[in-house]
Amino acid sequence: MEHGDINVVYSVEHQLPLVMYIGQYFFFTGLSAGSFVISVIATLLGRKEFKPIGKITAVLAPALLIIAPINLIADLEQPLRFWHLFLYYNWTSPITYGSFLLTAYPVMGIIYAVMVYTNRQTPAKILGILGIPLAVSVHGYTGFILALAKARSLWNTAAMPTIFLVSAMVSGIGLVVIIAAIRWKWFDKDATEEQRAGDKKLILQLAQFMAYTLMLDLFLIFSDILVLLTAHSDAYEAGLLILTGNFAPLFVGVELILGALIPMILVLGPTRKSMTAVVVASILVNIGVYAMRYVMVIGGQTVPLS
Amino acid sequence: MAHKRYAMVIDIRRCIGCHACSVACKAEMAVPLEVNATWLKIVEKGVYPDARRFFLPRTCNNCEDAICARNCPTKATYKRDDGIVAVDQHRCIGCKYCIASCPYDVRYINPLKNIVQKCYFCSHRVDAGLVPACVETCPTRAIVFGDRNDPRSEISQVLAANATNVLKAEMQTGPQVFYISADESTMSNVEEEINYYTEPTLIKLRF
Repeated sequence: MEHGDINVVYSVEHQLPLVMYIGQYFFFTGLSAGSFVISVIATLLGRKEFKPIGKITAVLAPALLIIAPINLIADLEQPLRFWHLFLYYNWTSPITYGSFLLTAYPVMGIIYAVMVYTNRQTPAKILGILGIPLAVSVHGYTGFILALAKARSLWNTAAMPTIFLVSAMVSGIGLVVIIAAIRWKWFDKDATEEQRAGDKKLILQLAQFMAYTLMLDLFLIFSDILVLLTAHSDAYEAGLLILTGNFAPLFVGVELILGALIPMILVLGPTRKSMTAVVVASILVNIGVYAMRYVMVIGGQTVPLS
Repeated sequence: MAHKRYAMVIDIRRCIGCHACSVACKAEMAVPLEVNATWLKIVEKGVYPDARRFFLPRTCNNCEDAICARNCPTKATYKRDDGIVAVDQHRCIGCKYCIASCPYDVRYINPLKNIVQKCYFCSHRVDAGLVPACVETCPTRAIVFGDRNDPRSEISQVLAANATNVLKAEMQTGPQVFYISADESTMSNVEEEINYYTEPTLIKLRF
């Protein structure tokens, strides 16, 4: 080479601190926040045909959020010291917000679910409206966990919390579509033909909503990558890593093509009236979002720091 | 009396790349295998016979505005009054968020104790009036350690008389390990950038 070779002969890199437990936790809180928002929309609109979906999602939201923090505790090097989070809190750390949000949100979710199931409309609506900011912050703060770890250029962007929220909506709606479709197929036999047609229409509409949210998600990812590629050298490295480097198969192949483009074609294209296509699209979307969590959490730590 | 502000100056012109600082650190702090609190980064520039090795002793910068202390959810990592960033090993829950936040990759999980550790400027030695083990052992006296708030200390005089650099100043962490005559390509973490774009390829998407 003209300017001569430069080789790193020796340096130390320590193991990746955050492993896929964290990605899985992000995935589960995302599903929970997404299904809670759907549930509240169904409750607020109050139409009779939305009731089943409102009920399914009211259970899903707290159930998923009880699973999610198990990943967090499993990830700790000292799991039995998890109570230090509450006793020795530090208000400048996003994890501290998280530990309180993760306690408050399932409690509220369970009370909300009881209200929905006992048909008490007014308290359910009030709790729903109060719960949406809580659901948004319980998932939004996970975006801040990554964004505020300033060492990692793939995470340290203002777009991160929004990307997490939007992808949470996408995967949450996907899960609701899958479960609503299972109910429609096997557990909805007593309903009249008219009701079944109405339920099917509702599921298809939900899937379309999912496709439009996917478009917003794709736009956010596009703007994030574009800025990464024009920013400082670390950010450029991170952008290349996921576009053409080791994480390209997962990011471009699974997250963008399998998890976004194909589902969008399935839901909005000629197969848009087919229940099978919509369910396949929802499964693909969830695979894509899971891949996104992997690329973000693991890929973000792959750019060397020293 | 004003607080002490411990800092370190490493004079790369004197460094001979002997790894004595890494060995002293391992012994003093009982750093387990596979992890390092102090190490020597070595970069080779040029092609034989016009080649040279450049050294960069690396350790925790004990930053003024430490992102690890700010992000620690239990305040296990905290800044002492004398500027040393310490980890309370009984309080650390091992969430590893500090490792993810640190721009210098100097923190590690101690595989024997299952908590996060790093260099504390040998705070136990400093409290006893000694200098850190790496400073004591360095055969060419390339490392100067002391109180930056005391204008008569050796470190204050070295800092006043020399041009210094810190690692990743853009991170706004205020590193307290200063380097004299450190090579830019050795301080950089991005290997791709070091090759000065001699071969334009398709993946150079820089706008």
